Amino acid sequence: MTSFTNKNVLNLLRNLPRLSISNLRNNDGAVKKNKRGRAQHGGDKHGHGNKGSKARQNFMRPGYETGNTPFYMKFPREQYYRDHHVKRQYPPLSLATLQQMIDMNRIDITKPIDLSVLCNTGLYNIKPEDKHFGVNLIDEVSFFLLSFNNIVMGADNFKAKINIEVQWTSESTIAAIERNGGVITTSFFDVNSLFILINPKKFFQRGEAIPRRMIPPEDAILYYSSAANRGYLADPEKISWERFVLAQKYGYKLPKIEDDPDYDMLVSRKDQRQIFYGLEPGWVVNLKDKVILKPTDPQLKEFYRS
Amino acid sequence: MLLNCLAKQIRALPSTFAAACRMSSVATENAEFTEVEEPPMVYGGYTNLRQAWVSNLDTVKENPSTIIDLHPQVFGSRPRIDIIHENIVWQRKYRYVSYANTKVTAEVNMSSKKPWPQKGQGRARHGTRRSPLFKGGSVIHGPRSHTTHFYMLPFYKRVYGLTSTLSVKLIQDDLHIVKNLDLPSDDPSYINDLVDSRLWGPSVLFIDDTDTMPRNISLALNQIKHMNLMPVYGLNVYSMLKYETLVLTVAAVKKIQERLLYQLHRPDVHQATKKFMLNMQN
Repeated sequence: MTSFTNKNVLNLLRNLPRLSISNLRNNDGAVKKNKRGRAQHGGDKHGHGNKGSKARQNFMRPGYETGNTPFYMKFPREQYYRDHHVKRQYPPLSLATLQQMIDMNRIDITKPIDLSVLCNTGLYNIKPEDKHFGVNLIDEVSFFLLSFNNIVMGADNFKAKINIEVQWTSESTIAAIERNGGVITTSFFDVNSLFILINPKKFFQRGEAIPRRMIPPEDAILYYSSAANRGYLADPEKISWERFVLAQKYGYKLPKIEDDPDYDMLVSRKDQRQIFYGLEPGWVVNLKDKVILKPTDPQLKEFYRS
Repeated sequence: MLLNCLAKQIRALPSTFAAACRMSSVATENAEFTEVEEPPMVYGGYTNLRQAWVSNLDTVKENPSTIIDLHPQVFGSRPRIDIIHENIVWQRKYRYVSYANTKVTAEVNMSSKKPWPQKGQGRARHGTRRSPLFKGGSVIHGPRSHTTHFYMLPFYKRVYGLTSTLSVKLIQDDLHIVKNLDLPSDDPSYINDLVDSRLWGPSVLFIDDTDTMPRNISLALNQIKHMNLMPVYGLNVYSMLKYETLVLTVAAVKKIQERLLYQLHRPDVHQATKKFMLNMQN
């Protein structure tokens, strides 16, 4: 609004009387008045005639056809959306958007990126209460970028070398990241851990110990233990083989991570039971005194050990 | 080239400064015309940078020394009169509590006796004289105290209210910038003369970046009821419009610009525009 001020608008004000409290008014029609009249001003039936279903707002329920067999009950069902309310959702984030966040300094790529970092940008958010189980990193253009009239394909234009942890992704996205010498891991977080991960400050203010991350449910075990998906439960040996296979398939030269100056950053991964980088389950982060409290009781230690 | 630049600046300035003769005399008189080196201002580029003279309060005669650059998003924004109006209405209403009160039937102080028997009188049946049908009875749908009219204006309406008002004040030549608020005396007639001779006011609001104001101006304005002092954190649309002229110190301008530009471009917009709750903590 403020960037494109028409000079004439301001110059018009220069020759008008001084703006003061007494000569202000709102735009025409900005304040709506209640149209329901009282008494002689339309107070009788309020435009709803005399009796009957229209006067009583007796609307038929959706799909009801006044006694006919409704259309939706005429044919056998095909349950495309069966159990849709319990299925896990992964709101997408485009590689192009991620690149833009990096270019705009919303994300620091000298540190590993996880869901916490993505949510802290203020440009991406998930709602675990709506069955969102994390980020789906896609290689296409997402709605976010289309609004900027800036159509670029995510995978082709992705140039950053990052260590990112996502919850769902595709083969081409993995290729786009590994081509630039980056590392990607798919990893599962249960609902409780997600709430903690997307708003760490809120959790730390509660003064509770960081819980253990739960293992994936039965139907997700296969995805997260697959090396092709770079799952966090997969064998690292197999992952390095799959990295090589993908490079062959997409025809790029796999940069050697061992020779990279950012080797330590690129190989840092969370433990299977860990929610935050550098913080172990069982620790309490005290924001007020700025200290981390660690359990000393051997029984507690045993409990939190993965 | 230099002349051209100067002409450009003159056009950008409020109308009273546009008197070319005055401009030239000022330029030659001021030997200590110093350019302050500052990083260039970052703004859209579709609007002209706003500029204003930096004046002084230590002499009655105006002695502008430098020109200050004003950010167009703060001092040259689109003047949304409707948003300014909404701010004024909000500022009036949020502190207003209506104490108007009427009594419901149970509260009316009157006999609870049945006024006349149910049957046999030829009169309408009534059970109590307190009912709204009787004179001196209760009132239906009447006002009940204490009705608060508090509400919170959306965050960016408050921000745009400030930028719109500042822009209107600047373009209408009702905003003046001074180096500081130091006066040579605490005599109220001095500041009265100064305001009269510069065709300010008569009501003037002085704004500084701190709330510990210089001694002389505090004592002088204590005697004058239509002039006032205010720190930057108290800046609001209602006061800016209540007083005819707004006088900002350079430090206040810097702080206002910094704060408003932050709010206009802050990355965590969703935090600022959250639904207002009475028990919310920032």
